[in-house]
Amino acid sequence: MPAPVPPPDRTSDAAMGRRSFLRGAAAFGGLTALAASLAPLRELGDFTSTEEFLQKYYKEMTPEEMARVLARIEREVKHQYGIRPHVRDLKPMDGVEFVYCLNLTRCIGCRKCVHACVAENNQSRNPEIQYIRVLKMPHGSMDVEKGDHNYKDAQVPDKGFFYMPVQCQQCENPPCVKVCPVNATWQEKDGITVIDYDWCIGCRYCEAACPYFARRFNFTKPEIPAERLNPEMAYLGNRPRKQGVMEKCHFCIQRTRAGKYPACLEVCPVGARKFGNILDPESEVSHILREKRVFIQLKEEMGTSPRFFYYFDK
Amino acid sequence: MDSRPTRPDGNNGRRTNYWLGGLTVAFLGLGGFFLAGARSAAPVRAEIPLVDAKFLDTSPWRQTYADLVKAKEDLSDYDCYACHEKKSPPPIRFDAKGTIVIPKEHGNIVLGHGSHDRNNLCYNCHNEQNLETLQVRDGRQVKFDNIPPLCGSCHGPTLRDWEAGAHGRTSGFWNRSLGDIQRLSCANCHNPHAPRIPTREPAPGPHALHQAPVPAEPAH
Repeated sequence: MPAPVPPPDRTSDAAMGRRSFLRGAAAFGGLTALAASLAPLRELGDFTSTEEFLQKYYKEMTPEEMARVLARIEREVKHQYGIRPHVRDLKPMDGVEFVYCLNLTRCIGCRKCVHACVAENNQSRNPEIQYIRVLKMPHGSMDVEKGDHNYKDAQVPDKGFFYMPVQCQQCENPPCVKVCPVNATWQEKDGITVIDYDWCIGCRYCEAACPYFARRFNFTKPEIPAERLNPEMAYLGNRPRKQGVMEKCHFCIQRTRAGKYPACLEVCPVGARKFGNILDPESEVSHILREKRVFIQLKEEMGTSPRFFYYFDK
Repeated sequence: MDSRPTRPDGNNGRRTNYWLGGLTVAFLGLGGFFLAGARSAAPVRAEIPLVDAKFLDTSPWRQTYADLVKAKEDLSDYDCYACHEKKSPPPIRFDAKGTIVIPKEHGNIVLGHGSHDRNNLCYNCHNEQNLETLQVRDGRQVKFDNIPPLCGSCHGPTLRDWEAGAHGRTSGFWNRSLGDIQRLSCANCHNPHAPRIPTREPAPGPHALHQAPVPAEPAH
């Protein structure tokens, strides 16, 4: 004799049973929750265009593809800021290797280099991105842990201290290049470590690897006032970045690859900054490295071999 | 005949229903929570004022005689014989302690040249026989629009560095084949009478992403 069959779950002539209804409702609720959790995507205003999404890696682009990319960047900047920029892709020059020398006896800590860099390289004003950080160091130590980033001296220089601006050291042995999982950053043959902003995925490994706090991340869409936009741009340099990519000092690649001095050097009122081609024996950096006596490379023990030489005069 | 397996307690699947009901309520609740969160405003960031344009200025601190000539400015300050007599070197007066006394007509000059003011003597640089030129200690005469040889006659290493581009401000092109370097003259930065660079106001420091809220000023 078969066991008694449990009564069906239809207690009425309804088209759907209770269980089926509840399963459907649970599934609907789950889908609602999923859709609502994705709701912040609605605020993602400037989603990347198809053209940008399908753009190739910098080192694999043909000149025609690069020309199209530069045209796209010009269109986007014109659309966003109302200013038509002049965007170029400058290649490194032969027989050139850049080196920066910074005279710590001269630096007065005025921070003009910080702001000239911001103006030249179209950095976000809010949240604030500044590639250069000036440390106020007590006399007698090169330990950067003793440096004060936030000094608010009424008058500089303050007695008993020296001032040390720190920016990307363009290391010969760069740890940031080693850790990038997608090769969005690499060192070019003139010594500048560059970033392809359209290839960077924003993982910030390079920021963790850098011993000098050189790398900056765009946590939000950068805010640049249109009246202070610098329209002379380079693809690997100062073109406006987007949210979620890294950026850093690139020795004003749009200026230096055209033979000019970087903006930080031009504004320094005391001439503490010296830049040039170390392969040229007549350059001022070659003169300094020959004639001056005390040179410091920051965090030398890390083995990064920076191209930035701090020196003391007299 | 229905061939579904039976349960001994014959609950009509009540536990399943409770589970499904509970999950439905939970998911709808989550959905409501996410939707409410999605419409909240983005966190407000503190206002960061744009940096004052004076910190972006690249013009030199001082103008030299050569700059004034080039700009066709008023050169009457340099017309020494408007007041002084030719062939009559003005005498220098010292006070009881041996400190030089600046005549009141030249009251805008503050002398402070050298450690312990050891170069505070007008005729170390000025030529008393011809006030419109300057003199180097070895007898050379130097014109006002070309002073580096005078300054460099004592500050030799500095002059050599300056000529190489390593001392003082430079601007323009590091690549001389593409353009020229602009070098400033000594007096563009250093006041010849008090050459030590004075202190000045620095630009503002960095603003962090998350600022501690600034307490409001208490009303007095």
